Amino acid sequence: MDIKKTPKKLNVKEKYRLMTRDLAWEPSYRDEKEIYPYVDYEGIKVHDWSKWEDPFRLTMDAYWKYQAEKERKYYAIIDAHAQNNGHLNVTDARYLTAIKLFLQGISPGEYSAHRGFARVGREFAGVGPQVACQMQSIDEIRHAQTQVHAMSNYNKFYNGFKDFATQRDRIWYTSVPRSFFDDAMSAGPFEFLIAIGFSFEYVLTNLLFVPFMSGAAYNGDMATCTFGFSAQSDEARHMTLGLECIKFMLEQDPDNIPIVQKWIDKWFWRGCRLLTLVAAMMDYMLPKRVMSWREAWNIYGVENGNALFRDLARYGIRPPMHWDDVEKSIDHTSHQIMLGLYQWKFGTAFHSWTPTDSDIEWLKEKYPTTFEKYYLPRWEYAIAQKEAGGEYNNFGLPKLCQTCQLPCLFTEPDDPTQLAHRETEYEGEKYHFCSDGCQHVFEQEPEKYIQAWLPMPALMQAPLKGDLAAWMEWVSLEPTAAGEYANSEDKANFEKWRKQVSTD
Amino acid sequence: MSFEVTIEPLGQTIEVEEDQTILDAALRAGIYLPHACCHGLCATCKIDVLDGEVDHGEASSFALMDFERDENKCLACCAIPESDLVIEAEIEEDPDSRNLPVQDYQCTVSRIEDLTPTIKGIWLKIEDAEGIDFQAGQYINLNLPDDIGSRAFSIASIPEQSGEIELNIRKVPGGVGTAYIHDELKEGDAISFSGPYGRFFVKKSADMPMIFMAGGSGLSSPRSMIVELLEEGCELPITLVYGQRTREELYYHDEFLALAEKYSNFTYIPALSDAGDDGEWKGEVGFVHEAAQRAFNGDFSGNKAYLCGPPLMIDACINTLMQGRLFERDIYTEKFISAADAQQVRSPLFKNI
Repeated sequence: MDIKKTPKKLNVKEKYRLMTRDLAWEPSYRDEKEIYPYVDYEGIKVHDWSKWEDPFRLTMDAYWKYQAEKERKYYAIIDAHAQNNGHLNVTDARYLTAIKLFLQGISPGEYSAHRGFARVGREFAGVGPQVACQMQSIDEIRHAQTQVHAMSNYNKFYNGFKDFATQRDRIWYTSVPRSFFDDAMSAGPFEFLIAIGFSFEYVLTNLLFVPFMSGAAYNGDMATCTFGFSAQSDEARHMTLGLECIKFMLEQDPDNIPIVQKWIDKWFWRGCRLLTLVAAMMDYMLPKRVMSWREAWNIYGVENGNALFRDLARYGIRPPMHWDDVEKSIDHTSHQIMLGLYQWKFGTAFHSWTPTDSDIEWLKEKYPTTFEKYYLPRWEYAIAQKEAGGEYNNFGLPKLCQTCQLPCLFTEPDDPTQLAHRETEYEGEKYHFCSDGCQHVFEQEPEKYIQAWLPMPALMQAPLKGDLAAWMEWVSLEPTAAGEYANSEDKANFEKWRKQVSTD
Repeated sequence: MSFEVTIEPLGQTIEVEEDQTILDAALRAGIYLPHACCHGLCATCKIDVLDGEVDHGEASSFALMDFERDENKCLACCAIPESDLVIEAEIEEDPDSRNLPVQDYQCTVSRIEDLTPTIKGIWLKIEDAEGIDFQAGQYINLNLPDDIGSRAFSIASIPEQSGEIELNIRKVPGGVGTAYIHDELKEGDAISFSGPYGRFFVKKSADMPMIFMAGGSGLSSPRSMIVELLEEGCELPITLVYGQRTREELYYHDEFLALAEKYSNFTYIPALSDAGDDGEWKGEVGFVHEAAQRAFNGDFSGNKAYLCGPPLMIDACINTLMQGRLFERDIYTEKFISAADAQQVRSPLFKNI
């Protein structure tokens, strides 16, 4: 009788070696410097690329198989959501503001990350990081696509979704995430990995995704929630890539430490400024709230951040330079940003509203030392204007920060009654900043930031020359997508359709 | 009821309680399995089930695919055994691990000696003529009577002396187990233990110079490891940086002085953190990490470091080693992840230190 012979299964380590490390070759007729011209211009010294470890050991063949099944499951749920009028299951149409902001601000960022990782996957000289970056590049474009698809169903029924790509390039608040990603993409390969792979994917990702995805779950949005699960299964790999990169740089040469520190200082601050939009979303835009921005920061910022920087201290890395300023701002930022978005609501591709009585109670409870004292009076002023038949708008244009591109609406870290303004003169021009953090980032690389495209000057330049109606057309903003929620088509339609469904 | 789970490629078997996850049980047993989110979403802890049945618990259908469930994979952070299991995890196979099986041993207390005012040497003669096979650096679980339970102690003697092992035990203030050993245990008593346990042993295959850093009652494993290396004829540079508070706590000081005399590749650096006005003391004054920094001029690269002692000492030594360009892959600590540690917020930057 024949003895059945089972072929020996390759173990994971062996398979990984064959499918990644073993795919590399020694160049014979071109030298390494010509092939990888960008690896040393940032000053990072690498002595041994083989020390780059990839604990995931995922090979391309297995990668496709996983992602294909994720896609199948994801689209089955998206289809069901569309066929069963899933959009009417959300708490109410105010929730749409949160996902409009996500689609306009974050999904294009996923696409930028896709392009960035494709680029650095080519620019790094080691095969380990090359393969890991290629996979992340494909993940990121998948995330951008699946987010757009998840939200495309809402576009059939509601305003403000249809032209997110144009708005990403032209409208004002979207220039905040846009400038963040443009800054990263125009940096060298190692800085890009610190910016996106480390600061964004590791230090800040929980502060971004957990609020949005739990917000989706709490508010009945199955489509977005499913996207969240599908993406989260990639996130651990992304975080690992960022962490491995930073360990690799710090271990390869002691001269790398000050360079890495500078990048951590910069990207932590830039990330925190970007997250102020998420803070406003969490505290003001969800009809059913998950937790306050302060609570999220305490868990994901303070607790996890402290654990990380305790470990990084072993390499001689200290916590990010402006950490204390961020901590001082946490009880203020969401209110300051939301008051800004509300007063400029004629220029946002989403609706906003003044907090209801129950919102006010919640905000008082979550921000006992700041909300009632500093921000409630301003909301009460806006509410009184409405009740008198008016509308609280600010047609004056804000001064934007040259670095983060948010309006200069934040207060001094130690005085919440004093607006913070900083300015730096560079080659005869004056540049404005919202904070010490942003001014510091500018002053490290002024040649880079003087080139920044700012949305407010675009309104004043030819051909628009300050014509607000022409600007709205140029940024693809229909009046129905902007303004007060109470008067919106979205509200009226949602309530009408929901009633039809429930009386069927 | 509990199940036995054998973890390949280590070949080590652990017990998993009812409703306990595989990950939790492995971490508590001191076996590191890769993990991150701990609630079934990220798939970092994916493992193969080679034999037996598991309940997948909360594993997300996006983190553990249907085809993977068909291939008998599971997420260790959610999976609960429904039978005895054999699993395979992505653990580096360690060429220096002999993967010795754990066994129960009956023995007699053959000798008790005061090593310092707070540390006793306890010698246990094993009844079984074959004695115990262990790797220098490993520990045993000593079973204590009167429902005290078992306590873990590193073996201070060398593997060659397999018939009688030596333990060095410090009296822990308020500790029931060590109080029993110090106050009640007598020569001639019958006692039992199980072992050997632990993955703290010399990475001989690396063939690199070694630094041992020991403090408090953490000398046992390094002593066993160093004496074995020297007696085997190892010619690589070996350094022991050994710290205590005072001279009278510095047990086995004379033995190490004699070894340094006999073996030219062995350097002994004793340090007292509280030398007081001990005019006789000629050694280092300060903590272990400070003495090591001076001895190596702040550059530890090209070595393997083995750390054993109280948590604060280990932490200070790791900082000093890393600032001296020696990183995780070359640092080994005797470490037991307690339930409290497993729940503490940790960054995923380091896995083994």
